[in-house]
Amino acid sequence: MYQWLDERLDITRFNNKVLRKAFPVHHTFFLGEITLFAFVVLVLTGIFLTFNYEPSTRLIKVAGYTDPVQAAYASILYIDSLPFGAVIRSVHHWSAHIMIAAAFLHLLRILLSGAYKKPRELNWIIGMLMLVTSIVVAFTGYALPYDNYAVTATRIGHGIAQSVPWVGVAVAQIMFGGDFPGSDHSIPRLFSLHVLWLPLALMGLIGAHLLIMVKQKHTQPKYAEKVAPGKILGVPLFPQQAVMSGVLFLVYVAVVTLIAGGFLAHPVEAYGPLSANTPAVKPDWYFLWIYGLLKIIPSHWEFTIPLFNGGKFGPEFWGGVLIPSILLVGGLLIPFFSVTKDGQKQRYLELPSQKPVRTSLTIAGLMFLIMGTLAGYIGDSGMEWLTIPVAWTLLIVAPIVTYFVCYIIMRAIWGKTWPQEPQIEFIGGAKGSAADD
Amino acid sequence: MADYEAQIEHNILEHEEEEPSANTTRRAVLQAAIGVGVAGTVLSTLYVGAGLVPKKVFTPENEPLAAGDILVYAQGPNQNKPINPADLKVDVLQIIAYPMNPKTNVVKGSDPNNTVLIVKIQPSRLTPATAKGAVDGIVAYSGVCKHLGCIVSNWDPNLEQFVCPCHQGHYDPANSGKVMSGPPPKPIPQLPIKIENNQIIAMAFFLAPPGVNA
Repeated sequence: MYQWLDERLDITRFNNKVLRKAFPVHHTFFLGEITLFAFVVLVLTGIFLTFNYEPSTRLIKVAGYTDPVQAAYASILYIDSLPFGAVIRSVHHWSAHIMIAAAFLHLLRILLSGAYKKPRELNWIIGMLMLVTSIVVAFTGYALPYDNYAVTATRIGHGIAQSVPWVGVAVAQIMFGGDFPGSDHSIPRLFSLHVLWLPLALMGLIGAHLLIMVKQKHTQPKYAEKVAPGKILGVPLFPQQAVMSGVLFLVYVAVVTLIAGGFLAHPVEAYGPLSANTPAVKPDWYFLWIYGLLKIIPSHWEFTIPLFNGGKFGPEFWGGVLIPSILLVGGLLIPFFSVTKDGQKQRYLELPSQKPVRTSLTIAGLMFLIMGTLAGYIGDSGMEWLTIPVAWTLLIVAPIVTYFVCYIIMRAIWGKTWPQEPQIEFIGGAKGSAADD
Repeated sequence: MADYEAQIEHNILEHEEEEPSANTTRRAVLQAAIGVGVAGTVLSTLYVGAGLVPKKVFTPENEPLAAGDILVYAQGPNQNKPINPADLKVDVLQIIAYPMNPKTNVVKGSDPNNTVLIVKIQPSRLTPATAKGAVDGIVAYSGVCKHLGCIVSNWDPNLEQFVCPCHQGHYDPANSGKVMSGPPPKPIPQLPIKIENNQIIAMAFFLAPPGVNA
């Protein structure tokens, strides 16, 4: 049987090339896998949801509501009434959060360990694009329940898209299918983007990411340099890595189901169908820093270039589009400014302690995002101390202070040992210790 | 085989003997053809792609507000019933209203830009410009926040200002909807009103275009 297949499909070559691929063993190397698991779960639960969802805003009568409600809203009520329907919807919701969180942590690991350097610049760029695509997919899914909360949150996104000079109105009209809310085309279009085109793009990017990773091989953890210098250390994809990943996938499904069972996501009935009242909305955590920036950028920061129609640069554009874009482009360019010596290929990961400037900059960048997030809480009860000037001060000062504090601490602790190679001690046999890590 | 090689040899010789200028002309013609083809493709794609921007379909429910429209409750137990000015109290949360066509009695609630805020404040606090469109301290404004399009549905009783719950934009109802704090770039436009038969009626369109982009 094996031979029969091998003669036709050249399985031996596939086995040698792919199934024997070495996966380094280190717990941070599972972050990317968790992202992938979340995506798989999103697709599977998404199939269930699409089968029961009607992407339309036509008004229909539903028991328990005096006025007709939109069909999209009614279909969420229907899904929630199915056996475990609400749990599956919650699994979908929480998996989206976990996917973005895991992708971001994966990015931080790559950044702090210098794994983005030559030859892996391409995968860094693809990874950044995937993070952005994931966030856009999450956003396009937000409006689909069409409850008052979801519509308000999406309406803000529509306003941000419109704020781009010159092209913004056309982009918003195309992406949201006209005015949002109000147009009958909005929900079908967001639905199409959310369940079809953006996930397809994501699948293509995931495929490219993995193929490039197999082709280029993983960067090796630092310990591999001591244990087996010059060799590739790790467990083969099949069977060892496959078993570990399989177990991790099951653990992932179990944990996310537990969370979903305990915390039902986005209770549409509590928010109610679209109404003229604006609920106090907060975006999801990964948008909070943009939301915070929108709150603190003053309205008079605007000018118009009177060239053609609509060359207006306003506060929504600065906070909602420009600053995130600058961070994105800056991120994409990292591997072209932070390079290896003499154009060598990066074989081994760098320890964050060996690169105090990069590590401190990364933590300062995180502090910027955290301070932006904090600004999102301006005006909340209990947050009266947080005024716009305080938020501005924190946004600018906290990252700078963080940078220097990090740098000084790292110098004090590791400064003396930087010229030396890190000392790694192995107890009870080098190989065993590495594999247990 | 030998014939074939001879043929190729012949072809090469023949082309080598050609005038170089003949080649340049041929190349120019081909390049022009490619250019025209690409331009035609791009233009026709743009023409077809323009269909991605949906056409706005006007129905009686989403026609813009017009002078003479009666303002009705947008929600609540009295939904779609005309607002009685006698029910308004001074300095309490604004009523969210939609215009109703007085001839057909169709409520134009499908376009969010038709959302109107109605509030009653001390007539003495109104600026002269605002008082022109107000009756007895009752003022009406566009309900769409100029920042990012949320409905300005909150009221700060201490400051006596409209508050948009999305990003804390504050507007002053006594002074032409002026932005008092927060990120909105422009005041919300006032809707001049009159009162007839215990109904609040729009006297004209909003004093400036409503909505985010205007």
